[in-house]
Amino acid sequence: MVLKTNKKAKWFLIVLFSIVTIAISISIIIVSQKELPTEDLRLAREALTIAKEAEANIYSEKIYNESVQLYDSAMEKWSLENDRFILVRDYSQIISFAKRSKKKAEEAREESIKKSVNLSNDVKAAFVNLAKKIELYNKLFKDLPLSKSVFDAHNISKKYLSESKIAHENGKLKEAEILFKKAEIYVNHANVAAAKMLRDYFNDHSKWKSLANDAIAASRGGNKVILVDKFARKLYVYQSGKVLRSYDAEFGPNWMAHKERAGDKATPEGNYRITKKKERGNTIYHKALLLDYPNAEDKMRFAAKKKQGLISRSAGIGNLIEIHGHGGQGFNWTSGCVGLRDNDIDDLFRLVGAGTRVTIVGSVEPLSVVSNGLDF
Amino acid sequence: MKSKLIIAIAAMGIAVLFSSCAKVPQAEIDAATAAVQEVKDAGADLYVPEAYAALVDSMKSANEKVEVAKAKWFPNYSKSKELLAVVSQMAIDTKAKSEARKVELKAEVEAMIVEVKALVEENKALVAKAPKGKEGRAALEAINSDIAVAETTVTEVEALLANGDLIGSNDKIKAAKEKATSIKAELEEAIAKKGGK
Repeated sequence: MVLKTNKKAKWFLIVLFSIVTIAISISIIIVSQKELPTEDLRLAREALTIAKEAEANIYSEKIYNESVQLYDSAMEKWSLENDRFILVRDYSQIISFAKRSKKKAEEAREESIKKSVNLSNDVKAAFVNLAKKIELYNKLFKDLPLSKSVFDAHNISKKYLSESKIAHENGKLKEAEILFKKAEIYVNHANVAAAKMLRDYFNDHSKWKSLANDAIAASRGGNKVILVDKFARKLYVYQSGKVLRSYDAEFGPNWMAHKERAGDKATPEGNYRITKKKERGNTIYHKALLLDYPNAEDKMRFAAKKKQGLISRSAGIGNLIEIHGHGGQGFNWTSGCVGLRDNDIDDLFRLVGAGTRVTIVGSVEPLSVVSNGLDF
Repeated sequence: MKSKLIIAIAAMGIAVLFSSCAKVPQAEIDAATAAVQEVKDAGADLYVPEAYAALVDSMKSANEKVEVAKAKWFPNYSKSKELLAVVSQMAIDTKAKSEARKVELKAEVEAMIVEVKALVEENKALVAKAPKGKEGRAALEAINSDIAVAETTVTEVEALLANGDLIGSNDKIKAAKEKATSIKAELEEAIAKKGGK
């Protein structure tokens, strides 16, 4: 009986062992035939690394992030699949994610290279454009009596441009673009304000041209006439319709304005006459030619503006507008007078006498000429 | 009785066969992940981007290795553990490199601040000697404003440095140094021309 039981158990074990062996063999065959996502994930990871080296995370952010998400999803899914029973694991979706991640990473890299090249070119072109705007300011606007905010805006724009160039040199194109845009905002602010000031100033050009023509015509009889061009910073002596002398001149810091009241540091515009010649000792400015400011027209304008409340009641009209020495300082420093170099006032002093006509204009030439064809 | 024992052993054998032989090295994974995050928090992605990218790649590679092992009948994580240990060590090295770069960068910025301050002072002294004739005064006004901008930049850089923004401060101070150097050259040229007249 015992022998029979042992025999049965032996057979049972043999059958069981055979079943297990067959099951294991079948499982090994199934598992070994399943494609693992290892290679696809490695390729996706490498593609992501290459894309990042090409700064795809900056210049092709959307596609790069999609690629990262696909890779992360693949890894997450793989971990979940590996937690399942070995025979029922399915890696197909993981492989699909990994392949898509690789493709996206490659797309991101390509787009990044294209975009960064384009951005670099755009920024370079923008540097040229911005440099032109800065040059325009330096050529045309820098001598205007601009407000501090305009002056500061111009300088800040130069600072940002310089920082942008450094960022560009370091390959930080996005940063260069941001800094460049800041520079552009400031330079545009400065140039727009300065251009408006200049255009507004030249609104009176036809009046000035007429004044200048009258002055030149008045010299045709042989009389000497002084014509002062504030924009050109020149004082001309005309005789017989021709320029006899020309001197560099300087004015008050508010030289663009027409003088209206005492202390406005503006140089008047219009027709005046020399009322007095002041020799050395009678003036602190070497020598001086006193003008008859305010003339009748100035007085009328002053009274009208005062009446309109445009000039304060307590303000005076001002006086002592002269052509005097101590010039050549390179900036507009007088209180509204016309400053010449000492040797120039000496020469002029010899040339003209009391009663000489002095015509002061904003500019003899029109804006199109003085701007030298610069587009602004 | 004997047969029952044999059956039990066989059943256990089958159970063992169908279960994992080793556990996922979660502690090592967590440690390496935390180390990588610490390195990122220390700003290594900014200060040593290449080393940081290599570290991240190694971490990903280690994670892949863990899954490769996990996918096997009889998982063996010894290689994964080795790789995770390498990643943890790489993280320590990368953090050290990042800290060293920060110290180096801070020293560079501080040195440049000193240089720019000195250049500003030199430029102020040169402005006093520069010719002030026609155009000169207006040009000097523009130069003075450029010097003022350079001074403002130094103040901005000092504030950025105090906030730990070493890269921002480095870029700004470089621009200021470039500007201050060009101003100095411009002034020296103007003074030399004046002397030559």
